[in-house]
Amino acid sequence: MIGTPAGVTSEGVARPGVGSRRIRSGVGPGPFRLALLGLAAIIPLVIVAVLLFLLIYAWPAIRFNGLGFLFTKTWDLGNLYADPVPKHGVLAPIGAQYGSLVFVAGTLLSSGIALLIAVPVSLGISIFLAEGVGAKFRTPFAIVVEMLAVVPSVVYGLWGVTVLVPLVAHVFAPAIAAVLGFIPFFGASGGGGFGLLAASLVLALMVIPIITITVYDALTRVPREAKEAAYALGTTKFEMVSRTMLPMVRPAIIGAVILGLGRALGETMAVLMVSGGALNYLPHSIMSPISTMASFILSQLDSAEQDPSGLAVQSLAEIAIVLFVITVLVNAVARLLVRSGSNARG
Amino acid sequence: MTDRLRAARLTRAQFLRSTGVAAALLVAPNLLPSAHAADSVTILETGSSLLYPLFNLWVAGYQKTSPGLRVTTQSTGSGTGIAQAVAGIAQIGASDAYVATPMMRKNPNLLNIPLAISAQNVVYNLPGLNGGHLKLSGPVLAGIYGGKITSWDDPAIAKLNPGVALPKHGIVPLHRTDGSGDTFIFTQYLSFSTPDWMNSVAYGTTVSWPALQGGIGAIGNPGMVQTTQQNPYSISYIGVSFAKQITAAGLGTAMLQNKDGNFLLPTTETVTAAAEGQIDKTPKDQRISLIFAPGPQAYPIINYEYAVVSSRQSSEAMAKAIRGLLDWAVDPAGGSAASYLDAVHFIPLPEKIRAMSRAQIAQIAS
Repeated sequence: MIGTPAGVTSEGVARPGVGSRRIRSGVGPGPFRLALLGLAAIIPLVIVAVLLFLLIYAWPAIRFNGLGFLFTKTWDLGNLYADPVPKHGVLAPIGAQYGSLVFVAGTLLSSGIALLIAVPVSLGISIFLAEGVGAKFRTPFAIVVEMLAVVPSVVYGLWGVTVLVPLVAHVFAPAIAAVLGFIPFFGASGGGGFGLLAASLVLALMVIPIITITVYDALTRVPREAKEAAYALGTTKFEMVSRTMLPMVRPAIIGAVILGLGRALGETMAVLMVSGGALNYLPHSIMSPISTMASFILSQLDSAEQDPSGLAVQSLAEIAIVLFVITVLVNAVARLLVRSGSNARG
Repeated sequence: MTDRLRAARLTRAQFLRSTGVAAALLVAPNLLPSAHAADSVTILETGSSLLYPLFNLWVAGYQKTSPGLRVTTQSTGSGTGIAQAVAGIAQIGASDAYVATPMMRKNPNLLNIPLAISAQNVVYNLPGLNGGHLKLSGPVLAGIYGGKITSWDDPAIAKLNPGVALPKHGIVPLHRTDGSGDTFIFTQYLSFSTPDWMNSVAYGTTVSWPALQGGIGAIGNPGMVQTTQQNPYSISYIGVSFAKQITAAGLGTAMLQNKDGNFLLPTTETVTAAAEGQIDKTPKDQRISLIFAPGPQAYPIINYEYAVVSSRQSSEAMAKAIRGLLDWAVDPAGGSAASYLDAVHFIPLPEKIRAMSRAQIAQIAS
């Protein structure tokens, strides 16, 4: 879906229906086809198996936590120094309660703000690469952007802790408070740079190359005829890009954004290092510390393993299920958007 | 045969010969140690970031006396140390906290072996005041971490520090995000000195910190030092093995109120005084809290630094290697010499406790 911007290829060039049918019949019903089918089935089977495993494993926690898991803010392992007692039909440490709202909110907020920053920047870069520079500079520039996409996330995290967090604390936070302070969520400073803004900025940096490369790829495939037709109608370069090129690569843009969002939702290490590790409260400003689902699972697993009842680890698995479901939902919505986009055009 | 062809053959022959040599070179270093394989053992130590600096000194010192042994050390937090010792991933789980009773019942083979005595600093970053030593008490710290005391010029802090110009500025309380023995001993101090805290948050390697806007989580003792330094008006708890880093960062260290009401800094004298009162109370399995001990000169946050080890190791060679290392670590002529412990501000185990540790070390078998 993402790699092939289907809407871009002009009807006259590709006839995928005819070609692929001929290839498929060529494979035939023999053992080769069965082997391919087996290989192809691995991916969906693994996904189903992982989800099933998580559900079975987390089942005691799902029973213990109920629906409140999604709507409560308190995460308390309870007293691990006394014996667990039965509650809601399972053995639980005294005082244990698990709520995921803080982590769901932290994940969605940080990923959302990251996209708000990353999407316009990425579109700008990709348009610049495709239309703004000559071929001489285009390739090295594109290579640099591609290299950014493969930098390991812990490197971003380390850079975030040593460079970005002090920068946020001493430059961005006062500036934002001064300019946007009248809007409630942008007012308060504090958090010392660790928190929602730092996490969002690190995520944005990780997402920008992904979106940029994908959109740039699609833009370069816009047929020259379309561009020339637009110019022939007397459009300026800006109008040509905004009215002709961008609508043509719309599915690719949506796909790229979803790909980036997927990375942001699941990012663990870099976020853990700059998020400030909030517990039991929702962010009240863009500077507040947060925790995301992925980073919380990582940072709390070792503590949770000291719970003799096992409920703490099972509750972390329940967070993993929530993250899984959110990611699948996001992808499903994206597919719908892409489809409605191509329908509207066709 | 043309000259060119012959040249190609020659180079091929040379190539084959040279790869043969290279292969022999590659194999040789692997062959050599395998001759001693029986006595070459690799021990993995992981856990407490408070014990980590000392363990690195120990490994460097001990490996001189037993060259066959390899010890890998990792600073991952006490929570990880306990978890990986339980899972059998690490042979030695370093922890500032002893393993809880319900967990011990599930894993009866675990030993909690004290190696040295450590203490904890309460550290703050108050511009202009980091040179002196603010006086703080358990109830005041519980108030700060519980969200009841939010400003540095709060009357509760001012009462303990007459004459100090406390800033009218919000407090930024820092806590550990990873499972931490430092969190365990700090929250024990709050629990034992403040009933309200015991009844609400209590203690553990991670606790459910009260919802504090502005509170920040940091990873490991190094992360706590760095985050305190980066955040003026913050307060944190950091193990004494990081005293050098705390001083280098220009941070202030608080005098803490002990059970007898006196305000003390962690020094050799006050930590020793606190430990001495607890010697006779230490049970055979040595799982005991030394926090908030009585005594006029007893510093309130001290603890045994534990090696969490399974008494059932994979092989006798491994068991023997661990016994050797730990026996040497508690030996006043070995790892517990002043040259090692002074560097991290730990104090050696009292004679009676050392004997108990040795008795536990002797139980490590295959």
